Amino acid sequence: MNGRERILASIQGQPTGRLPLMPITMMFAADQIGARYLDYVTDYRVLAEGQMRTAEKFGFDYVSAISDPAREPADLGAAIEFFPDQPPAVIEDRALLADKTRLAALRVPDPLAGRRMSDRVHGVALLKQRAGGDLLVEGWVEGPCAEAADLRGINTLMVDFYDDPAFVDDLFEFTVAMELEFAKAQIQAGADIIGVGDAAASLVGPKFYQGHVWAYEKKLIQGIHDLGAKVRLHICGNTRRILEGMGRTGADIVDLDYLAPVAAARAAMGPRQVLLGNLEPVGVLRNGSPEIVRDTVAACHRDAGENYIAGAGCEVCRDTPEANLRALCEYAHVSR
Amino acid sequence: MPELRELYDAILNGDHKTSAAVTREAIDAGIEPMELVSGYMVPAMDEVGKRFECEDYFIPELLLSARAMKAALELLRPLLAASGAKSAGRVVIGTVKGDLHDIGKNIVGAMLEGGGFEVIDLGADVAPQKFIAAIKERNPQLICLSALLTVTMPSMKTTIEAFKEAGVRDGVKVIVGGAPVTAEFAREIGADGFGENATAAVALARQLLQAA
Repeated sequence: MNGRERILASIQGQPTGRLPLMPITMMFAADQIGARYLDYVTDYRVLAEGQMRTAEKFGFDYVSAISDPAREPADLGAAIEFFPDQPPAVIEDRALLADKTRLAALRVPDPLAGRRMSDRVHGVALLKQRAGGDLLVEGWVEGPCAEAADLRGINTLMVDFYDDPAFVDDLFEFTVAMELEFAKAQIQAGADIIGVGDAAASLVGPKFYQGHVWAYEKKLIQGIHDLGAKVRLHICGNTRRILEGMGRTGADIVDLDYLAPVAAARAAMGPRQVLLGNLEPVGVLRNGSPEIVRDTVAACHRDAGENYIAGAGCEVCRDTPEANLRALCEYAHVSR
Repeated sequence: MPELRELYDAILNGDHKTSAAVTREAIDAGIEPMELVSGYMVPAMDEVGKRFECEDYFIPELLLSARAMKAALELLRPLLAASGAKSAGRVVIGTVKGDLHDIGKNIVGAMLEGGGFEVIDLGADVAPQKFIAAIKERNPQLICLSALLTVTMPSMKTTIEAFKEAGVRDGVKVIVGGAPVTAEFAREIGADGFGENATAAVALARQLLQAA
């Protein structure tokens, strides 16, 4: 059974031989090939090389086109700051939708127009070509709340939930339409699964998650399923109060950040939901020892029981000792 | 005579229009500005912090309360300055060089302001020299450094080292915070403390400045 087959079997509730392994790597992968992160996020060939080399070296079951959240905003015309060796960032005090009336005139960009979204689509195609069916290929889109925060400015969006909830819904509607177009292009390029990153959703609390965010996450996930791909939902931050809703989005894999206990997620989502995670990336995976990493992933596995995929709670930090990441990977390689 | 409890409630409920209206009425009625700050605004923001800690309030509620508190404070600030009233301390806050994330910094800044501190917010992506200039020009007692990314955490160390080189480190307390920041990291880089969240940062600020 190869990595792609293993993850797909896990999603279908079938035997996997050993634990599937899906840690998120971005800057860590760029460092593996000695690439500047600016090159990793602007040249899909660098990204693909970093992903392939990292997956081969550590025995991952997948490769991913995840890189940064500024691709869609860049193609929409938002102000982005690029750094030589760290992720590009949206400049919030020049937010594209600082004036919310501009939403009405915003149009979904063509993901194949040769800009930053296209670069990711090309990355997916190259990963598919190089992985040759041995590794699962993951595309990536932003979730409705994360994308809305990038377009409106996260500080402003948080207050919009109270001041103008209808606008928030309109903005989410736009982001879902855009992300579905982006997902479609990546699926057509060969993505088996689409990661949906909805970081800002952990900030809003259960009232607004249930009242606004959840329905749009569900719509996006259903849309991706209709396009023929699986979905991994990752919400950075403390999701303890929204776990039950995350489990009802229909995501094939719920990827937990470390602040949400695996046991709580299992209790909230039931035994059949595939859970992924959730070692603390800094405190455990980067700063701990191989023994601590092994003990921690074993505890996550124990709390999750069946239907579990090993991984960190969020991105593997760039300066994580290789011995620590190996400890995580070796646990997955020998565990059922 | 305004019902001052309404100021407390307005801040707790994030109602900036009412907080401003009650404050205006109170000013017109001749109530001491410091009575409004210490009797109603600081306790309201303390309660907001408690509700945030126990996950009754989340970021939208916190920002709304901060807006209501600021609406009142804007009206009181000239009167406080004229009366010579002392704040709990003067704080310079910013997200360090290379990091554009500022929601965490904004929340800590608002909670410090709500806790009676005078807060000078330098924004995001702040170079060490800008912090040093603010220390020299504004004479704060406390510097708060924020970072969201592991890759920008080294900027905190660079900033503190720049303080030492400029000869201003001993005159200020420095606290650090942000999602990837740990107490161990704070010790390693020579900070005076680490705030795990906004309410912890306010408590730490009070503790450090009382001890100073």
